[in-house]
Amino acid sequence: MEKIILLIPGIPLVIAFILIFVSKKEHIPKVSIMLSSMIALLGLYGTYHVITTDEPIHGLGGLFVFNELSAILVPYVAILGLVIRKYATKYMWDEPGYKRFFILLNFIFSAIYMLVMSNNLVILALAWQLMSISLYLLVSFNVASKSAVKNGSWTMLIHKAADLLFILAVILTYQTFGSVDLGQLSQTWLEMSKNPVENPTIFVIGLLFLVAAMMKSAIVPFHIWLPYTSEAPTPVSALMHAGVVNVGGILLNKLAFLLLLTPAVLNIAFVIGLFTAIFASVLMLVVPDIKRSLGYSTAGQMGYMIMEVGLGAFSLAIYHLMVHGIFKATLFLESGGLIRYARHDPNIPQRLSYKLFWEEKTEHKSNKTFNLIALFTILPLLIFIGVKMVLSEEFFEFNAAIVILAFGWLTGTQLFLSFFKVSRSDSIKVILALVSSFIIILFTYEFIGLALEHFIYGEHALLFYGAATLNVTIIMSMVALAAIMIIGWLFMYKQHFVHIQKSERPKRSRWLFYKLLAKEAYVSDFFIKYIKIFKKG
Amino acid sequence: MLMNIILFLLAAGVPYYLVLERSQKLNSEKIFLISGFLLLCAIVIASFVEAQYSGLLVILALLSAIFSIYKATKTTNFYKFGYYLLFINAPFFMLFIREQGVLYSLSLLITLAGVYSIAKHYDKYYGSANYHGISGTTLATPYVGAFLTVYLITLALYPPFPNALFLLSNMIKEETTLLWYIVVVVVFFGNFLVAMRVMPKTVFGTPNTNLHYVDLTSKEKIMHFMIIIALLGLSIIGFKGAIA
Repeated sequence: MEKIILLIPGIPLVIAFILIFVSKKEHIPKVSIMLSSMIALLGLYGTYHVITTDEPIHGLGGLFVFNELSAILVPYVAILGLVIRKYATKYMWDEPGYKRFFILLNFIFSAIYMLVMSNNLVILALAWQLMSISLYLLVSFNVASKSAVKNGSWTMLIHKAADLLFILAVILTYQTFGSVDLGQLSQTWLEMSKNPVENPTIFVIGLLFLVAAMMKSAIVPFHIWLPYTSEAPTPVSALMHAGVVNVGGILLNKLAFLLLLTPAVLNIAFVIGLFTAIFASVLMLVVPDIKRSLGYSTAGQMGYMIMEVGLGAFSLAIYHLMVHGIFKATLFLESGGLIRYARHDPNIPQRLSYKLFWEEKTEHKSNKTFNLIALFTILPLLIFIGVKMVLSEEFFEFNAAIVILAFGWLTGTQLFLSFFKVSRSDSIKVILALVSSFIIILFTYEFIGLALEHFIYGEHALLFYGAATLNVTIIMSMVALAAIMIIGWLFMYKQHFVHIQKSERPKRSRWLFYKLLAKEAYVSDFFIKYIKIFKKG
Repeated sequence: MLMNIILFLLAAGVPYYLVLERSQKLNSEKIFLISGFLLLCAIVIASFVEAQYSGLLVILALLSAIFSIYKATKTTNFYKFGYYLLFINAPFFMLFIREQGVLYSLSLLITLAGVYSIAKHYDKYYGSANYHGISGTTLATPYVGAFLTVYLITLALYPPFPNALFLLSNMIKEETTLLWYIVVVVVFFGNFLVAMRVMPKTVFGTPNTNLHYVDLTSKEKIMHFMIIIALLGLSIIGFKGAIA
């Protein structure tokens, strides 16, 4: 009976097929939402089954599996899909191609479910490619717009390259291990990981899968497609930023046991992820186009996600992609409402923090610098260690754990920034709000991270941390972390607590640096100049 | 060996480049039909004869394919686009194991039959099979847009259509060499670039206000629907082969 859950990837295809024959426009969203609700219910039932029985559901000739990873991701995708569909019902109403939109949307959801639930590399390869083509058609949905179509072609080019690398990796996997069954392969990889592995082909396979994942997850230097897809309809943007770019993380989680054999690939993932996180986040601040800025924000978050994988924190990457996905989907879907408000009220957008603290805004006295640094540097560090020690006794066993905590801190800083932007006050209200939200973020990160780790990988999670051979000692980590904090907080202090003379001209070197960033480091220009074939289109 | 050379001549576009292209009497539609017929002959012969192509023949077919990719990026005519795609895929016909190679070429031929029908439709209603000035078919003639999109996706080697599945199946099962990898990469991207280049020019874009767009008739719709059914039938065979 529970095997019915394995039909989930087929349901969106059935919906798409039914929609072809629905002639009344009003019935299109009804059919789509009603049947999609069925997927969400099935997904939740599957999750319940996996949690209660502790047994994954295998079926359809072993091609599909509903395991712990599916139990988390399928309901997530299904509920997100429902919200996006509901939103699109009205948002897309006046657009030409209403039916086409819902058909394409169902195709891409089918590919995502197939990707998440596949237990066979061939099925995974098919889902991987199906997602590319569905995304292309959705990004180019506004077919009358030349730029939307051109940017869709860019997206497609990167994704096609990812498809080729993926297929080559599948071929090499089959030739090396003699199977394409993921369950069987995972067992083999787990067994092999007990002894040192010196087969260079395995490294090549891991690297090919990693690069394919990087391409689809918009990791530098393959990030150029994502910031330029903003002409896609808003529901598509929400889906893209919340779901499609995350496939890199999902793929690497599905191949987690393979990566046990290739610590070098994990290290590469960490370094490139770190670079992407910083590079894309900086570009996010500099680019003048707000939608492109959101694109770079997502690319930065994908960098974090790949970085977490590089540290062996596979389950944390899943948590990260879900949290970021929900956040970004909300941001995109809410944007229309905010614009509507802004048209009626010049003070919109207001932040929640603005409403809370604006009344008490007072002038800052600069002689409190030391106190502020101490408050915002040492206190978070103490909270940091405290939270970790409360939740996990093995704190000092993992090098990676400390670096992972940095993500919590970095996420917290984004929240702090939003407070700082509106308040220079040292009121107790602000400080309490900052500290409490910081604690909540850390607890959530740690608690859910650990819970997921236990649920998805059990005792194997420790193997992943071990495989990530990034050799950072505890002292080095602490020093690096403290340095990051001090620099970060000093920067914020300088930005928000000190009055900057407007007439002050920037130095030439600073100006050149800014220009480099504002031009997105010329990466897009390079691609446009040297790959001209689509320009002719 | 003689049989291999004959199959090579039939499939790899050599007659086109040596003879047909030089003929003043044959228009692009006739060349399309002749090239398709030659490939069909090659498919039938290859079904009965065990062929093992030499590396030299594969290299020659690859060179022909690269030249065809170049020519295909220059054309704006559906007929020409069709027969160039035949020649681009010739190395796959020669490189793959017999049955899979034959099925791959057959699915290619069926897809191109769909493209040919669209070309005929263009010819009938717009005066030529040139797609350069007839953009925005998705908006103006949704059925033409939908069917053409399916054919182009199939030609660009994307699932769930059979070309992609036969390709995947072959790639996994074939013994690989350096030449094999070069062929796969060139033809994989060649098909994609050529097929995707057509989309912004005809399927996508703003409809031309100077044109009176005409969508498919019921008879034409049935024909295209049958082509899609045939492709999906082949997809099932391809899928079974890929997971076997």
